[in-house]
Amino acid sequence: MRTLLVRVAAGLTLALISPLVLANGWNMPIGVTALSREIHSLHMTIFWICVAIGVVVFGVMFYSLFRYRRSKGAEAANFHEHTGVEVLWTAVPLLILVAMAVPATATLKNMYDVSDAEIDVMVTGQQWRWRYEYLGEDIAFTSNMSTPREQISGEAEKTENYLLEVDEPLVLPVDTKVRLLLTADDVIHSWWVPELAVKQDAIPGFVNENWVRIEEPGIYRGQCTELCGMDHGFMPVVVEALEKDEYEAWLAERKEAAEQEAMGVDREWELAELMERGEQVYGSICASCHQADGSGSPPAFPALAGNTDMLDDVEWHIDTIINGVSGSAMPAFRSTLNPVEIAAVATYERNAWGNDAGDTVQPSEIVELLEE
Amino acid sequence: MAFHFPKPTPEQSTTTADAGLADSHHHERPRGLMRWVLTTSHKEIGSLYLIFSLTMFFIGGIFALVVRAELFQPGLQLVEPEFFNQMTTMHGLIMVFGAVMPAFVGLANWMVPLQIGAPDMALPRLNNFSFWLLPVAFTLLLSTLFMPGGAPNFGWTFYAPLSTTYAPPSTTFFILSLHLAGISSILGAINIIATILNLRAPGMRMMDMPLFVWTWLITAFLLIAVMPVLAGVITMMLMDINFGTSFFSAAGGGDPVLFQHLFWFFGHPEVYILILPAFGIVSAIIPTFARKRLFGYASMVYATASIAILSFLVWAHHMFVVGLPLVAELFFMYATMLIAVPTGVKVFNWITTLFRGSITFEPPMLFALAFVVLFTIGGFSGLMLAIAPADFQYHDTYFVVAHFHYVLVPGAVFAIMAAVYYWLPKWTGHYPHERLSQVHFWLSVIGVNLTFFPMHFSGLAGMPRRIPDYALQFADFNMVSSLGALLYGASQLVFVLVIVMCVRGGKKAPAKAWEGAEDLEWSVPSPAPLHTFETPPNFERPVH
Amino acid sequence: MWSVIKSVLAAFFGVQRDQQRREDFEHGKPVSFIIVGIAMAMLLVALVALIATLAAG
Repeated sequence: MRTLLVRVAAGLTLALISPLVLANGWNMPIGVTALSREIHSLHMTIFWICVAIGVVVFGVMFYSLFRYRRSKGAEAANFHEHTGVEVLWTAVPLLILVAMAVPATATLKNMYDVSDAEIDVMVTGQQWRWRYEYLGEDIAFTSNMSTPREQISGEAEKTENYLLEVDEPLVLPVDTKVRLLLTADDVIHSWWVPELAVKQDAIPGFVNENWVRIEEPGIYRGQCTELCGMDHGFMPVVVEALEKDEYEAWLAERKEAAEQEAMGVDREWELAELMERGEQVYGSICASCHQADGSGSPPAFPALAGNTDMLDDVEWHIDTIINGVSGSAMPAFRSTLNPVEIAAVATYERNAWGNDAGDTVQPSEIVELLEE
Repeated sequence: MAFHFPKPTPEQSTTTADAGLADSHHHERPRGLMRWVLTTSHKEIGSLYLIFSLTMFFIGGIFALVVRAELFQPGLQLVEPEFFNQMTTMHGLIMVFGAVMPAFVGLANWMVPLQIGAPDMALPRLNNFSFWLLPVAFTLLLSTLFMPGGAPNFGWTFYAPLSTTYAPPSTTFFILSLHLAGISSILGAINIIATILNLRAPGMRMMDMPLFVWTWLITAFLLIAVMPVLAGVITMMLMDINFGTSFFSAAGGGDPVLFQHLFWFFGHPEVYILILPAFGIVSAIIPTFARKRLFGYASMVYATASIAILSFLVWAHHMFVVGLPLVAELFFMYATMLIAVPTGVKVFNWITTLFRGSITFEPPMLFALAFVVLFTIGGFSGLMLAIAPADFQYHDTYFVVAHFHYVLVPGAVFAIMAAVYYWLPKWTGHYPHERLSQVHFWLSVIGVNLTFFPMHFSGLAGMPRRIPDYALQFADFNMVSSLGALLYGASQLVFVLVIVMCVRGGKKAPAKAWEGAEDLEWSVPSPAPLHTFETPPNFERPVH
Repeated sequence: MWSVIKSVLAAFFGVQRDQQRREDFEHGKPVSFIIVGIAMAMLLVALVALIATLAAG
């Protein structure tokens, strides 16, 4: 009778829990790499072990609470300490843990094996964006959240990938082992894509390694998971996995665009051109601190609109953008932005929101400054 | 001159305290406010600690409700991300250092001398000092909210360099306040150790001490071991911020990961500081209301000691994704899994104590039973987090938030509430109002689970911690959590009502307020007079 | 000495016979238990570290 009761209770519990744990969006995703499947299966194994222990332990507990109520006339027995039982309940959990440690060790060793990677990508965390650099390919770009601020403030309808969309995703080929080298420029960030089962801290002064081999083309979304300041919640990670030939095509296209941009450095730019480009750069890079209308949020983030220090001294202005201000939240954009972008954003800041410096900063000037 | 202790009979032992009061040779006691400022009585200082803790519990709770209100829906509605970060940070700091730790110290102040038959704490004036450091420390901490640049906003774990190079100016005040709280803890711990080792009633050996005393003894050693590490790490921060050093700044040749090693070498034992006294409380309450001796007293003591020792060997399981070498990763995974063993032993002991008991469900028992179930659920998620490869997916998500709130809220906080209900008759002379206590219990249990259970799902589905806004697929979980938090928060007003009513009146409690209670505190009258055990009781081992 | 080690081992495992414990408390010196306890704790650390090193292979 008792065993039957236990069985019924166990069955009911399982029946109640299983739709929850199997439902999509309630559990860890199985993911699209061999490693993510391995981790998912470890997760489910340890989960079911916990459920089993829970059923036994809570079963005995609630049985006792029900059966030995004083209101039903239960009288307390007088027993305590039993070496056999105590040895058993120490040894059995120990064995379960050893059994669990074996597959966990194997998976961990697999995760740490970064050898034989075909592509190396440097991932750099910055407040509050990711920068990707394809080592040996001369391609580098930053990836900023592209969800409009109006959606966040509720002035516009939130769309499907709210907070999980970027202007430029990290593009990777499928069936290729990619080594990720992670670091950061300012504070600690953490790069995570659940479906790739890759999470690794990006730490200033350190280069961490991890790797991924994606098996299915698609778009995979994640977020920064280490508190990194004000816009920590607005620093998504998006990876687009392409078939190998599509990836090659993408790579060629990016290289050509980079060459185009490099050629633009030598020519004279019009104010209107620089303003247009600058507004775009400002919106994705600067607006999160200095605000879209240049009002900033003092004292941490000074206003740029009507900022006379900046307007009166163009050299200091450019130097601040290139080298940052040490000891403050203003990072150096020397390696994040290219000369055209630096020139454009400086020009934009000097001529937007009622600022009327009227001058332009040319990309060629920036190139000279960077070479110094 | 040799002291002669009369051997008290049970009747006498309830009157020794009165006798002690009569022939006392005390000075005129200060009245009004100065009575509380200058008091050296362990009972009054205990009450001060508990009242302080309750106040902080509500302040920290309001911060949590601000966080939950912002997270009620996707989008930014109420607060700016900058202020949101200040709220999560202050909530954590206040709850850990201002609410839970002082509550346990308050309980130790009240109950350790009563449980070992001591007249007071060993160092009463130091006791007064260690309490009064706390209001100073936390006034300072709360004042940072009104400073330019705002309060600390880098999470309660204050990882460098976010908390150094990139921190608001108020960080220096935060460091000072944490130093003060740390000094208070160290002094309190020294006092508790001195009391337990020196002032036990004649005849009471170490292995006769109630488990609350045992767990606090071990906790006090943990405090003395790790609070200086915290002091060291925040001093290094102070130097980085104000004196141009670069302990944690990579640009100056420092090491941001060193901060995490130091912080968690303090932080992990700290976690056990927050839970070991709770084990002691539950180990007192369950035998009382099961009317049956604790199944394995000795193994409980051993398990507590094992957990304390292992707590120094597992700190880097908080750092599985910072890029540790493989060997370190394996070492900390194995060591962490080992902790599950003594923790399991504790749970098994409680349950075996219930087995074939004669069980009743008074309010302290309700909270203790909820503790066993919900703490165990927190233990299960802890076991899952110990599996290093899986932790790469869990780390810094709401799954972790669910885990540590399960061990801290229905864990530590429920144990504190159980203790309050258990010992209120001893403190006030009245039983707490039974119906209202039950209302408080059921609302709290429902509220806590509504708040924290959905966090397991949102975390597994991919929601990171400490974000002020979230993607749309997490909306339902967050809405439930926020409603649960509101319910849990509001139901604590019932708790205050019960306490106030109990202080002012209610059903009278005898010296032995609970039928199955055995320890020495139940031999003094209820309410316990200001002076107890001025003549040490002669401890007699209960015969079974 | 051997009985001290046995008792410390039992304490690590968490199970000890009541009679043995009573003897330890009546005849044993605390200092010897503390020293052996610390030494055994270090051995435990070394053991886990060794296993980890071997497993990392």
